[in-house]
Amino acid sequence: MRKIPYQLIEHTADIGIRIKSFSLAGLFKKAGIAISGLSLQRGNQKYREKHKIIIRQKASNVEELFINWLNELLSVSAVESLAFENIQINRINEYFVDAIAIGSDIRNYKINTEIKAATYHQLKVKKNGLIWQAEVIFDV
Amino acid sequence: MKEISGIPLDKIDDYRWSIPRSYKPGMRVPGLIYADEKLLKDIYQDKAMEQVANVAFLPGIVNNSLAMPDIHWGYGFPIGGVAATDIEEEGVISPGGVGFDINCGVRLLKTDLEYDDVKDKIKDLIYRLFSDIPSGVGSEGYIKVSPEEEREILLKGARWAVEKGFGTDDDLEYTEENGAMPGADPQAVSERAMQRGKTQSGTLGSGNHFLEVQIIDQLYDQEACKVLGLNLGQVMVEIHSGSRGLGYQVCEDYSRSMAASLAKYNISVPDRQLACAPLTSVEAKAYLSAMKCAANYAWCNRQCLMHLTRQVFEKIFGSSWQELGMFLIYDVAHNIAKIEKHKVGGKEKNLCVHRKGATRAFGPNHPVLPEKYKKIGQPVIIPGDMGRNSYLLAGTEKAMQETFGSACHGAGRLKSRTAAARSIKPDILLKELESKGIIVKASGRNTLVEEAPSVYKDVNDVVDVMHNAGISKRVCRMRPIGTVKG
Repeated sequence: MRKIPYQLIEHTADIGIRIKSFSLAGLFKKAGIAISGLSLQRGNQKYREKHKIIIRQKASNVEELFINWLNELLSVSAVESLAFENIQINRINEYFVDAIAIGSDIRNYKINTEIKAATYHQLKVKKNGLIWQAEVIFDV
Repeated sequence: MKEISGIPLDKIDDYRWSIPRSYKPGMRVPGLIYADEKLLKDIYQDKAMEQVANVAFLPGIVNNSLAMPDIHWGYGFPIGGVAATDIEEEGVISPGGVGFDINCGVRLLKTDLEYDDVKDKIKDLIYRLFSDIPSGVGSEGYIKVSPEEEREILLKGARWAVEKGFGTDDDLEYTEENGAMPGADPQAVSERAMQRGKTQSGTLGSGNHFLEVQIIDQLYDQEACKVLGLNLGQVMVEIHSGSRGLGYQVCEDYSRSMAASLAKYNISVPDRQLACAPLTSVEAKAYLSAMKCAANYAWCNRQCLMHLTRQVFEKIFGSSWQELGMFLIYDVAHNIAKIEKHKVGGKEKNLCVHRKGATRAFGPNHPVLPEKYKKIGQPVIIPGDMGRNSYLLAGTEKAMQETFGSACHGAGRLKSRTAAARSIKPDILLKELESKGIIVKASGRNTLVEEAPSVYKDVNDVVDVMHNAGISKRVCRMRPIGTVKG
């Protein structure tokens, strides 16, 4: 799994992250991989097969899109028992994302923390100058 | 008046503090926080009080936006929050007021064993419970169900497990809602939610979920203890779990649809996670039907977990669970919304009571209580942390008058998970607990550290406030001797 740089946001009960990128595609990609990094620890990597899952989401604004995107990744990862290690963004704007999430069997990892969902609480997704930045709190 | 972090607080008495409506334009009712001076110092360290004020914006909210003494910062609603909305006054339901782990709750069962019977076997017992009861993130159960059976679980709740032979009718008698809320509609549950639930029946889960073997170390109410058959030194078992992935998905699905409801019904709330819809709307009705399915799934899950626990005790002690006296005291939900009748301004009203990290605590003689408990009030189970105590309380008439029959749900977090990870070493923690006679087996070292006793408030302080405010009365206290953490 790629190492994704993010800052942790202090929260009493849950976990928050702050993430930055030069593009919206980069922001979504980093955040998507970061949720695997937050909850998983590399294990024996016994299962080599890679699985590709198409993820498409739409929303009425970029914040809603960001939450829908993260929750779809969490949900698909739970149903398919996959750890998403990489993400390829095919098309993205503030209302639509079309991507391929690439993952391997979850048994390749030791699971540290269960992330139940990404929440709207104190959510920020915005562009400051050239930089896209997101802050999100996950229910764990 | 006191002002904490810019939030004005009116002291009502030693255990009650009010956030006036004037604090934020848009608050429909004041906030009411149950705490003493000591707990208040903890509460103002995070953003929980701001969230109490935000909940007061919900349309149709009556009396107060309530906060129990275990209150801490959540997402949208504070954890430890109670809010009741009036159906006839455009009251709303908010999936955020229930949370992702719908019907996360706790059950307490007694045994006829005493400390001397278990002290030499506690390690074997805890290790066997750990190996025989699936726990940890995404854990899959030994109880496999077909899609048809899963739909049955959503309708029948704990009764499904009892019909399979995983318990008795008495277990249902002593479960809130008898283990299933009527009005659940599996059609309201998405295929994705069904997929997430199908392999997780009879699994503990992770995070703060646990199974704990305890000893009663203090009796407070002799009469209630007599009714419940509880004595000093008796071994008890507490199980804390919820609706697992199915519940998370139901909340996620309906949080999406409720986000659109805000504009549709012209509702303004200060936090998107408080998204809601009028109780009379199609969106609210669909959510309530799906939420009930998830709640029923959780009751079935805790029934299955209790069955597996009884089996382990049978193996370790060589007697049937009935011979071991492993009978259920009660099972309570602490993340749920319910339509209940309560008096508001002297008039009986149909309210939607959201309990987000709060326990129902109905007083004596309430019609929904089992006959045996009518005299003493509803058993209220308050788990603490794995190093200190847990409590059994009983609901009071005062709770009916002040808190819509609700009490706290635990100790309440004090420190973040990241702060815990920075300051606590798992090996040292395990040794400390062992030196206190507590055996802990956890799925992950992270969970162990994140759930260390020092990250929680002292449950003794929290319960003192509930008891002294008259919201619930102490029945007995337990101390842990062994814990399985998810």
